[in-house]
Amino acid sequence: MTSAQAVDDIVGSEYEHGFTTDIASETFPPGLDEGVVRAISARKGEPEFMTEWRLKAYRHWLTMREPAWAAVYYPKIDFQSISYFSAPKRPEDMPKSLDEIDPILLDTYNKLGIPLEEQKALAGIAVDAVFDSVSVATTFRKSLAEAGVIFCSISEAVHDYPELIQQHLGSVVPHTDNYYAGLNAAVYSDGTFVYVPKGVRCPMELSTYFRINARNTGQFERTLIVAEAGSYVSYLEGCTAPQRDENQLHAAVVELIAMEDAEIKYSTVQNWYPGDAQGKGGIYNFVTKRGDCRGARSKISWTQVETGSAITWKYPSCLLRGDGSVGEFYSVAVTKGRQQADTGTKMIHIGKNTSSTIVSKGISAGEGTQTYRGLVRIGPRAEGARNHTQCDSLLIGDRCSANTFPYIEVKHPSANMEHEATTSKISDDQLFYCRSRGLTEEDAVSMIVNGFCKEVFNELPMEFAVEAQKLLSISLEGAVG
Amino acid sequence: MNGVLPNGFESWLSAAPERPAGVGPDWLDDQRRVAQEQVRAQSVPTSKTEDWRYTSLKGLLEQGFAQVDESITALQPDDLEEILIPGLDSHRVVLVNGRYAPELSVLGDLPKGVRLGGLRALLDADPDALRERLNRIAGDRQPLFLALNTAGLDDGFVALFDRAVMLERPIELIHLSVGMDEPRVAQPRHLIVLGDGAQATLIERYVSLGESLYCTNSVLEISLGRDAVLQHDRIQMESANAFHLTGLYLSQDANSRYRGVNIGLGARWARTELVTRFRGEQAECDLQGLYLAGDRQLMDYHLDVAHSVPRCTSRENFKGILYGKGRAVFDGLVSVARDAQKSDAAMSNRNLMLSESAEVDTKPQLEINADDVKCSHGTTVGRIEPEMLFYLRSRGISAPLARRMLCLGFAGEIIQTLSAEALREHVSEQVGQRLESAPLN
Repeated sequence: MTSAQAVDDIVGSEYEHGFTTDIASETFPPGLDEGVVRAISARKGEPEFMTEWRLKAYRHWLTMREPAWAAVYYPKIDFQSISYFSAPKRPEDMPKSLDEIDPILLDTYNKLGIPLEEQKALAGIAVDAVFDSVSVATTFRKSLAEAGVIFCSISEAVHDYPELIQQHLGSVVPHTDNYYAGLNAAVYSDGTFVYVPKGVRCPMELSTYFRINARNTGQFERTLIVAEAGSYVSYLEGCTAPQRDENQLHAAVVELIAMEDAEIKYSTVQNWYPGDAQGKGGIYNFVTKRGDCRGARSKISWTQVETGSAITWKYPSCLLRGDGSVGEFYSVAVTKGRQQADTGTKMIHIGKNTSSTIVSKGISAGEGTQTYRGLVRIGPRAEGARNHTQCDSLLIGDRCSANTFPYIEVKHPSANMEHEATTSKISDDQLFYCRSRGLTEEDAVSMIVNGFCKEVFNELPMEFAVEAQKLLSISLEGAVG
Repeated sequence: MNGVLPNGFESWLSAAPERPAGVGPDWLDDQRRVAQEQVRAQSVPTSKTEDWRYTSLKGLLEQGFAQVDESITALQPDDLEEILIPGLDSHRVVLVNGRYAPELSVLGDLPKGVRLGGLRALLDADPDALRERLNRIAGDRQPLFLALNTAGLDDGFVALFDRAVMLERPIELIHLSVGMDEPRVAQPRHLIVLGDGAQATLIERYVSLGESLYCTNSVLEISLGRDAVLQHDRIQMESANAFHLTGLYLSQDANSRYRGVNIGLGARWARTELVTRFRGEQAECDLQGLYLAGDRQLMDYHLDVAHSVPRCTSRENFKGILYGKGRAVFDGLVSVARDAQKSDAAMSNRNLMLSESAEVDTKPQLEINADDVKCSHGTTVGRIEPEMLFYLRSRGISAPLARRMLCLGFAGEIIQTLSAEALREHVSEQVGQRLESAPLN
């Protein structure tokens, strides 16, 4: 039995015994049509404009075809067999204590050094309101409100700030963008909205982790971050702790908008269930992320550590529209077992003197496959544009693979564009050196891999970086030898 | 035949369906037929086709090229004077509009074990010598232009080297194109087979008399036996109005060495496909390239180097200079198969942009399925460093000359890899001339 099933069974077993009666009405039956889209909207009590927006996206989605160009392989998804709305779990449906949780999961929590109370929260156990992070969250919200920063769920924002939503939602990733973005626009469940007013430096790192009410936002998450002129915000998404989820398909959309002199730093640590040893049951993570550097001298920086999911399909991108705007992409992706990752970035230089940096580190172990796919486009008006790209792949074991597919399009002579890529394995010399100093092979590998990824980890917020390092060691456990 | 071609290339085959029966043996007819079916099964590539993402076939299709079945006999050896390179001593093979021209060729003394000459002649004289070799290296599933060439397969150049034969002087293969009243396509097919331990140098040149409009779609199949060595210099200097397509399919046995130098200067639209397959361990393939894309010129390079066996080495080093509204496309793929351990590959593409309206699209790709490999690729696009220009100008060198010197320096790395001094001088001169007249905007 797979461990995902184990979790499912624990969850599922409860309603076998008939503890609850109204669960069926909380979750829509599988299938998708206009009625379902309307029902989602009605369920969330959305205003008219939102319903129309969803319907428009849905109608367009019907005309689109599923993309097949990525170097990932999976059985065809039946979009009619997915349930598109399920209300958040009620406390009585959740596991009652840690004893009911898969011991493998708990073992990983312990290795990551996650405190017991947090472990409960992560495992989806109903927790008391006195739990620490609730009070932390309340304090957080207070100081954010003082600064004038809006940080709430998209659903709340649709009600409370409809003019901001109408102005910005879908302006960076329109519903016509791609198949999964179209689907997301039609049926998105919930997500995060951040608005940083002019000249404000957000007083703390924002993280969904502290937005208790945003738990279980489901498979079609939508994030919108708007940074007005001269503002700064750093946003953390995800969590180093392994996340289990009964939804196999995740199609999220993230939109970032940076006005003049604004800066957005977006960090992701993704560690969703990668499936069992045969790659069954893992999560499909098909995400569209894009940042729009609208104003002059604005900056958007993406940092990602991708260790989970059976399939990752994501290309956080930057539209460098404003003169002198800056785009950055730092990525570490680890695939092992049967994991597949097709990831990279797009840097579209439109404005003058725009610059972008891409550092991508891929680690493939076991039978993992890994593809870097990136586009750097320097438009005809992008005078003085600069790009530096570095993608390195590290291979561990002779069954894995690493591909690099960069696309570079340059239409201005003053452009300065450099691209470098290397593929190699951990050399025997490096290993021998470490081992002769008394390190075990596993420690040695973990040390070398961490060194390989250092450039990216340096970009992560401090406490995240420490966790990411631990996570990497755990991910690669047993990969060597 | 099965009705009309769905994809606009009917005229390329117009002469082919009836005629081939007369030329060559039955097995070749079968291969032509298979290729015709493959052509019919394909649609015209568009920008949605990954391999044609940056290259449009619109301009080529608009010309309405047709294959014409007539040879030009009016040329005299004297007519070649202006295209020969002084000081280059070679075994000369001349093709006029894709047809072998014995009256213009000077094969000279050949050692025992070397056969040089026209494909059609050899098909008549000794078809069995070609049976197991022709159309074998290019593979069964042929892309459009290769299939078109196979379907119209009719004449070209053949070089067959027995075991351990060495040819001291280079073979010079001249593709001469002469304008005709109607726009025509020539589809020569070449076969070069080097037996175990054989060594040769091949200089392949594309030239024209006058600035006429025509299309060349040439295909080369090269097979190197164990320990064989081939130096292959290719200089494309087609007429400024020509369309040029060439596909080179290379098969290398163990320990063989191939070095190809691809110089692209001519044609308004040129596409080069270089496909390397390693069949034995420790083979080496070195592909060098230099292209100049001037005003409204397109230079398009596609490399596909497959490391399917362990311990082979490949180098891909392409450099380009762009000016006016020149465009260049570089699409290089190095793949390493599972278990092809100790593969060593390094790909590099560097571009110098001299004008505002030039464009470069480059796509260096790696597909690695083994762990013990050394693979890298690098790409740069940039302009001439102002500091360098300033340095030369401060020493009294005029700006245009300084720019030219820097460009020649950039190009020199590739030009140096050509086999003969006379050839290097010839190419440097041609590059210099083009840069001199290059519009800088």
